[in-house]
Amino acid sequence: MIFTEQIKADFNLYMAQAADDDFTRLRQHAYSVFEQLGIPSIQLEEWKYSNLRPIQQGQFTTSCVSKLDADSLINAGILNKIVANKLVFVNGCLFPELSIWLETDERIKVCSLATARKEHTALFDTHFGKYIDFSNDGLLALNTALMSDGAFVYVPEGISLQYPLMITNITDATEHNLFQQPRNLIVVEKNASASIIENYLAVGSYPSFTNVVNEIFVAENASLEHYKVQRAAGETYQTNFTQIHQLANTKINQVTLTLDGNWVRNNLHFFMNGQHCNSLLYGLYIPDGNQFVDNHSRVDHAMPNCYSDEKYKGVLKDHATAVFNGKIVVHEDAQKTNAYQRNQNILLSNTATINTKPQLEIFADDVKCTHGATIGQLDEEPMFYLRSRGISEQEARRLLLNAFADDIAEKIKIPELVSILESEIERKL
Amino acid sequence: MISITNLQASIEGKSILNGINLDIKPGEVHAIMGPNGAGKSTLSSVLAGRSDYEITGGKVEFLGKDLLELSPEDRAREGLFLAFQYPVEIPGVSSTNFLKTAINEKRKYHGLEPMEATDFLKFMRSKMEEMEMDKSLTSRSLNEGFSGGEKKRNEVFQMAMLEPKLCIMDETDSGLDIDALRLVSAGVNKLRNKERSFLVITHYQRLLDYIVPDYVHVLYKGRIVKSGDASLAKELEVKGYDWIKQEVEAAV
Repeated sequence: MIFTEQIKADFNLYMAQAADDDFTRLRQHAYSVFEQLGIPSIQLEEWKYSNLRPIQQGQFTTSCVSKLDADSLINAGILNKIVANKLVFVNGCLFPELSIWLETDERIKVCSLATARKEHTALFDTHFGKYIDFSNDGLLALNTALMSDGAFVYVPEGISLQYPLMITNITDATEHNLFQQPRNLIVVEKNASASIIENYLAVGSYPSFTNVVNEIFVAENASLEHYKVQRAAGETYQTNFTQIHQLANTKINQVTLTLDGNWVRNNLHFFMNGQHCNSLLYGLYIPDGNQFVDNHSRVDHAMPNCYSDEKYKGVLKDHATAVFNGKIVVHEDAQKTNAYQRNQNILLSNTATINTKPQLEIFADDVKCTHGATIGQLDEEPMFYLRSRGISEQEARRLLLNAFADDIAEKIKIPELVSILESEIERKL
Repeated sequence: MISITNLQASIEGKSILNGINLDIKPGEVHAIMGPNGAGKSTLSSVLAGRSDYEITGGKVEFLGKDLLELSPEDRAREGLFLAFQYPVEIPGVSSTNFLKTAINEKRKYHGLEPMEATDFLKFMRSKMEEMEMDKSLTSRSLNEGFSGGEKKRNEVFQMAMLEPKLCIMDETDSGLDIDALRLVSAGVNKLRNKERSFLVITHYQRLLDYIVPDYVHVLYKGRIVKSGDASLAKELEVKGYDWIKQEVEAAV
């Protein structure tokens, strides 16, 4: 495989100049795990519909050099209408000219991960790599071994971010193939709160592969709004792994919108490691053309008295394919768990495909859990009702599909973002 | 207004309407009554353009046009309105946006410019006042979580907004208590005028105490078997449908 040989060369290059420290040893270990596991193949049950073979035939540049200037990046759509703290990364490296910081409280630490390792070493060492386990996951291991840069966010005890933080990643594949591995680390301490938007965009027509890992830690009584907006159009492949580790009495609202992107695989994992956690997981995907979107989620109810609610919706067009695989695991100690999961799909063409698998694994005996999936077309009755009022079939379909999709978009609590996304959704429908 | 001649329709090969003849002139209110299974709801569905039914014969002329050739939306744009027996809940579609879309699509069909947003809101406010509609109903999603009475009142409110020429009311009284029935009927009576016609379909006479018809027809086995004035409804209330069934069977 050309790709794995290239990775090996990149890793050797990295090792030749790396310091002899714990961080390097972690990456060395991660690389050896990657060498054993490789890129996941469709022979693995969790990857049976998600074929990464195409990217393994190609050669990719990992350099973050880009000729894009600030103006053209703004034109690429960095949601500049939203008032927010902004960190912009191009091809995996921080792009300081477009990064904006609005908070006045200096106890908040937000910088690139590379800077954090140097300047906030103790915090970095306390949290980095502590919530993910790469021993069974080739892509997590690969990211750990050869990560690009990413965001480091530290919200100290009792502090609320005044503005949302938008972490934008732009793929510039205008001149060559690109491989990048963003790595974000977000820590929200006790009684703190934050609203964070992960925003993916792309320009250029060369193929790219983006292997993202997000590690998120939310301490007792803290709350987090976390939004993922995927609009990286073009020949893009993205694997996006998000691990959220939450302690007691935390509230998390996570929304994932996948609009553009040739091939997207999301893994969203919640680990509820304290009582009275409240976690909401919402998702919307609208693939068309030959797009492929896979949402895998896993919610671990490890402690009693927690609540989780998951709702993913899809509208599929043309030759698009989507996968939903949601797993709720209720551990033996997690009595009084309330866990809900739904996946609803509307297929608008005969050639679109959805593979959906809602799963419950329950090891406790006093819990309330439901799960279910639906696949269908638009209902006849509402269509006829609207048409009987003089609304054309086309317009009736538009109204109904928008209503179906906006149900998820409205879970986002930033009104400016919702209105931008509603028009983006309308474009896709 | 509308002229129905020998209309026949079937569903899944089963014949439901077996030759309906009915003429409604502008401003007239006709009631269609009949026992369960007579074809009352089928008639309203066929006129509104529901695709589940196959038209097997006859014709319907509506304001000079061949109604059966028109799509459901074009029938509405021409001025036909069906008040549903079971109005559909549509989560996520706001009542306001729905009405604005419906009105503007109708205007477009008639070659008119879309209504300005402020004009539309003004128009809607005046209609809400006229029909004594609660504001909360229009700020919510269409029919979502509405009680049976609220849904029927909302149908009549839509009627007021869309200003149709012919209103077909399909069992509007079903599921309504007496207070709701009064409110809904009062709304309908406000909309009666010299140009607008009504076809009121009902099983029970009680609705016709409030919406007094000019003509009453009895539908049985897919045919109109008896016609009269409002007193026919009273007679049916007292005597039930059996005597009509017997008359029909005796004639055959």
